[in-house]
Amino acid sequence: MSLDLFIPPPPSNVGGFGRRTGAALEAVGAATSLAWACCRALRRGRDYLPLAYAQVWDIGIASLPLVLLVAMISGAVTSEQTGYQYTSTLPPWIVGSVITASVLTELGPLSTGLVLVGRVGARFGAELGAMSVTEQIQALRTVGRDPVVYLVLPRVLGALVAVPALVALADAGGMLAGWAVALIRVPITTSEFAVGARAYFRPFILYLSLIKGAVFGVSIAFIACAAGLRATGGAAGVGRATTMSVVVATVVMMISDLLLTRLLRVFG
Amino acid sequence: MIRLERVRKRFGAHEVLRGVTLSVRAGSTLALLGPSGVGKSVLLKTLIGLLEPDDGEIWVGDLELGGASREAAESVRRTMGYVFQYSALFDSLTVAENILLGLDDRAWRPESPASRARLQECLRWVKLAPEVAPQYPAELSGGMQKRVAIARAIVAEQRYLLYDEPTAGLDPLNAENIARLIRRLQRELGVTSIVVTHDFELAKHVGDQVAILDGGRIVADVPAPALDALDHPMVRAFRHWHQRAEVVG
Repeated sequence: MSLDLFIPPPPSNVGGFGRRTGAALEAVGAATSLAWACCRALRRGRDYLPLAYAQVWDIGIASLPLVLLVAMISGAVTSEQTGYQYTSTLPPWIVGSVITASVLTELGPLSTGLVLVGRVGARFGAELGAMSVTEQIQALRTVGRDPVVYLVLPRVLGALVAVPALVALADAGGMLAGWAVALIRVPITTSEFAVGARAYFRPFILYLSLIKGAVFGVSIAFIACAAGLRATGGAAGVGRATTMSVVVATVVMMISDLLLTRLLRVFG
Repeated sequence: MIRLERVRKRFGAHEVLRGVTLSVRAGSTLALLGPSGVGKSVLLKTLIGLLEPDDGEIWVGDLELGGASREAAESVRRTMGYVFQYSALFDSLTVAENILLGLDDRAWRPESPASRARLQECLRWVKLAPEVAPQYPAELSGGMQKRVAIARAIVAEQRYLLYDEPTAGLDPLNAENIARLIRRLQRELGVTSIVVTHDFELAKHVGDQVAILDGGRIVADVPAPALDALDHPMVRAFRHWHQRAEVVG
């Protein structure tokens, strides 16, 4: 038997732009009603809080090594580049400012978000997608359990708690790696680095970093759950839901990053 | 008693159910027969509330579900158990957790003594050994998975059982065992059941009454013993196919 038989056909272009727009609007409508269902289900804490606790552990602890690794490499690369580019024309302490600015405002939250899109978003999309196509979601309804309470809210709330904590640790890891590389490569003293860091740092920047983490976490978990719950059509449907989770969550994360950074300019 | 009056259901331009009228006496089993794709599963899902009918009435006992309050309809639907075609067990949960998920217990305490006792009782009903309880669905055969799905459907002492192709994908011996189990649950628990199937022999074996769904409508509704004598093209086709299968077998 030829392996070609197992390659799904390319998506049909019949209907083109109109069909795709209709499908996108339908997905937005479904996501809106899912968000409303989540709000209504919030009062049932007794049902979802124990499950949310398990998700905090799963999202937070299990993602920590990869999140720290990526944040530290980002901080180290920024330090290396800043040292190379600026220190011949500017005072060395500027490296501390640049690393504080870039890690806290962008690299910490964004690298954490991108890691979690791949690690958590794809998994949620695939898990719920597989449950949808094997009728497990419908089975949950027939035994009187609301999928929003038992599947969606624990994941979204787990991400809401775990991701800001991960971002805080990523910020610390990125700063630490940036400082270590600056000491070796620029070169700069610890007190010069601290002067530069203090010159830029304000508590609002740290809050914004954590707020970004919360927004990214909720977006990733919610979008992945919404895509998974709408999956149809067997293994190909699960694949589409997973891809959709990653693509849409990445785009939404980037747009919200832009908007939140704009907030920094207005209020910071 | 379950009664459907002129139930209609449409998906886009395709009307699957075109005014289905049907009734099942309390404590009896209706076998709903029909070829694949005629809307048998849609009918069951409409009955249990997974799909909303576009038109018509669904009566369960004395309550018309469409006209009842949401709470009243939910309360009636909690007395219904549903056995999915491919079992639809939760693969991340053990057999015990799968079964006990069907209990009407919002806090869901699978470790409580009452839950454990009910679990053992349900496993006995479906003739599964207690050793199966900590296993995961992927570790079980298709026939055992189907039994777990039936145990989940009866765990809260449901009064109505809806079976969607209960013998699909099973070998003849397992299919026979499941058919016997359906009969036994009806006889000993007194449940009112609807069994959706495209298997002519299963319909005769488990049904007190057999209805045929075709073209979105009920085209025949007879007592099971009268099915063989029914002069209907679909019954003739089923009979002919069955005779050929016996010859080939």
